[in-house]
Amino acid sequence: MSVADILNGIAYAVVGGLIYGLYFSLIGLGLNLIFGVMRIVNLAHGDFLMLGAFAAFFAFQLGGFSPLVSVLFVFVLFALLTFPLYYLLVPRLLKARDPEMLSIILFFGFSQVVEALATIAFGTSERSIPGRALAVGPMSILGQSFPKTWVISAGVSLAAVLFIYLYLYHTRLGYLTRAVMVHREEAVSTGIDVHRISAIAFGIGLALAAVAGVFAPFMLTIVTPAMGVDVTISSFAVIVIGSLGNPLGTVLGGVLYGISYMFMQTFFSSWANLLPYLVLIAVLLLRPSGLLGRQVRRA
Amino acid sequence: MIRRYLAALLLPALVAAAPVRAADAPAEIKVGTLYASSGRFAGISMPVHSGFKIWVEQVNAAGGVYVKAFDKKIPVKLVAYDDQSNTATASTLYNQLITQDKVDVLVADSGSVLTSVAVPLARDHKMLLVDQTGTGANFFTPDNPYIVLIADPVSSIWPKPLADFLTHDGPGLGIKRVAMLYATNDFTGTQANAVRKFIKEANSGVELVYDEGIPTETSNYTVAINKIQAAKPDAVIHLGYDQNDIAFLRNLQDNGVKFKMLFAIYPGLETELLLKNVGAKGIEYVYTYVPSSELEYKPDFGMNLTQFRGEWNKRYSDGKIEYGFNSVAGYTTGLAIEKALSVTKSLDQLDLRQAFTEISGKFHTLDGLFQIDATGAQIGALTPLGQLVPNGKDGVKFVSVYPHETATGKPVYPAP
Repeated sequence: MSVADILNGIAYAVVGGLIYGLYFSLIGLGLNLIFGVMRIVNLAHGDFLMLGAFAAFFAFQLGGFSPLVSVLFVFVLFALLTFPLYYLLVPRLLKARDPEMLSIILFFGFSQVVEALATIAFGTSERSIPGRALAVGPMSILGQSFPKTWVISAGVSLAAVLFIYLYLYHTRLGYLTRAVMVHREEAVSTGIDVHRISAIAFGIGLALAAVAGVFAPFMLTIVTPAMGVDVTISSFAVIVIGSLGNPLGTVLGGVLYGISYMFMQTFFSSWANLLPYLVLIAVLLLRPSGLLGRQVRRA
Repeated sequence: MIRRYLAALLLPALVAAAPVRAADAPAEIKVGTLYASSGRFAGISMPVHSGFKIWVEQVNAAGGVYVKAFDKKIPVKLVAYDDQSNTATASTLYNQLITQDKVDVLVADSGSVLTSVAVPLARDHKMLLVDQTGTGANFFTPDNPYIVLIADPVSSIWPKPLADFLTHDGPGLGIKRVAMLYATNDFTGTQANAVRKFIKEANSGVELVYDEGIPTETSNYTVAINKIQAAKPDAVIHLGYDQNDIAFLRNLQDNGVKFKMLFAIYPGLETELLLKNVGAKGIEYVYTYVPSSELEYKPDFGMNLTQFRGEWNKRYSDGKIEYGFNSVAGYTTGLAIEKALSVTKSLDQLDLRQAFTEISGKFHTLDGLFQIDATGAQIGALTPLGQLVPNGKDGVKFVSVYPHETATGKPVYPAP
C-alpha cells in the first residue's frame, strides 16, 4: 500500500465510521434508555429491530411505502404495542431479588420466542428492500463517496438522538424519567408514578429499536429472523463503551464502534469483527463506567 | 431313521451357512441428518433438507429403498434434528444421531461450516458421513474413508472453469488484473485457494492485484468495494455465501459502482433468492456457476428437472423455502444413497463407502454425473461458468460461456 492509499483509507474509515457509527448509536439508544430507567437487560432488543425491519419490508412490498414514511408508523405502532408489554413483564421482574440477572434470562427466552415466531411467520429466506426505495447512488462527503442510503440512515439516527435529548432535557416527562434513572426508590417516595414513566421509556426504547430496523435493509443489507442476536451483541458493546445508563453516551459509543469497525475493515479485513470488542474490553478494564464516566451500575 | 438322523444333524449347519437375507433385515433404514431452520445457514440448509425429504417420501411411497444386502425393499425412517446454524449444537446432535439413534446412514447438514464438525466425529465413530454440499477441501484426505461428497464439486476444483476462463480467454478480452474478495470459511476459503493456485499455475499474465479475506458475518461491503476500486481490476471475484453475495451486490448498487466483470457464486446457485433481494438489475451480466437447476441434464436415475420442480412446487409453493440448486442437491443426495444401498454388501459403514465407489461414474442424476475420487470428493457435476443476461423487463437468463464445449453464447465484456 502506498502512503496515499493509507491516508485515503484512514480518511474513508473515519468518515465512513462516523456515518456507520451513528446508525449503531440509534441501535443502542433505546437499549440504554431502558437500562437506564429500569436497570433491566433487554436481550431481545435486536429482535425488536428485526421486527421493525420486517414491518418496513412488508410496508414496501405490499404498499410501496418508502422507509421514511414507514419510520413514523413503525415508531408509533411499536410504542403502542410495547407499552402494555412493560406491565406484563417488568413490574414482577423488578420485585425479584436480582432483577438485572433475572431480566437477562427472561429476555433471552423472550428473544428465542420472538425469533421462532418470526421464522414460522416469515420463513428463513433473506429479505431486503432495494436501495432505490430510499435513495439512489452515492454521495460525496469530504472527498469520500458513500451510499446516500447510509447518509439518510445516519440523518435519521441523529434526529432520534435529538428527539431523546429534547425528551429527556426539555419535557416534564423527561425530567421525571431522569429522576427515575438517578434514583428509582427516591422517585417513588416523591410520588412519581414510576411504572408509568418506565412503561413510556420502555415503549420509546423498543420503538427506537424498530426504527433502527427500518434502516437495517440499507445498513445491514439483509433481514432474517435470526439477525436479532448479533445486533443485540453489537448494541451492548455500543452502550457499554459509551456509558451504561446514559442514553446520550450511546452516541459516543456508536461512533467509536463504527470507526474501529471501519478501520479494521480497511486495514485488517479478516479480523474486522475483532477491534470493536477489543475496544469494549479495554473500556471495561480501564474505565468500567464507560467513556462518559457516569456511575450507573451498583456493585 | 438314519436319514432323519442325518437331516437333524445337517439342517442347523445348512441354515447357519445360508447367506444373511430377509430374516436379518432391519425393519427400517434409519437415515439421520441435521438441518438449520433458523440462523445464518437456514437459507442454504432448508432447501437441501426439503429436497432430501422429497426423496424420502417418494422412496417410501414405492415401498422403501432396495438394499442389496437383504435383497428387499426396506422403508426409510428419517431422523432429523435442527441445529439452528450453530456448530456447537450440530456437533452434539451429530453425536446423538450416531450414538443414541444409531442411524444406519449419517447425512450432513448443508454447507461446509455445518459439515465441518461432523467430519472428525464420523471418522472417530467409524461412521460414513454422506456429505451433501460441504465442499471444504480439507475434509477429504487419503487416510479418511469415512466421507463421501454428493452434490457439489469439491472446492479445490470447483472454481476451475472460472480460473480457466480468466487465464485462457481473459487476456484476449483484456483481462489482466483480477481482484478477489472471499469470506473466510471452509467453503469459500478453499475456493479462493484454488483460484489463486490455478491462476498462478496458468502463468498467463493474469495477476491477482487484490486478494483479501473478510469474516463470513460481514454484512456491509462498502469499505471493501472502495479498496477494490482503488486496485483498478479488470475482473472481480466475490466468493461468499448467499447472504454475503446479497450484501456485496446491494452495496455495489448503493455505491453506484460497476466492475467490468464480476463473478459471484449465489446468483447461480440461488437465483430466485438473489432476484428477490438484489433485483434483476443487480445481477445482470454477473458471471456465476451454471447450476444443475438451470441445466437440463438427462438423468438415467431419478426424476429430471421438470419433474422435480413439479414435485417441489406441490409441496413448497409458499415461497418460504427457495427453489434452486440446493433443493436439487438434497434430492440428489437421496438418489445417491439409494444407488449405494442397491449395491452394498452390508450396512457396515466401510461396505457402504465401497458401494459409493462402485457406483461412481456409472449414473447420471438431474445434478449431472455422480463421480468421486479416492478420497470421496465429488469430481463429477462440474458447473460451467455462465453469465446472467437480461431476459425481459425484470428477468435474467443463463448463458454458459466456458468451457467452450458447453457454451451457449459469448461472454459480454466489459459489462455495460
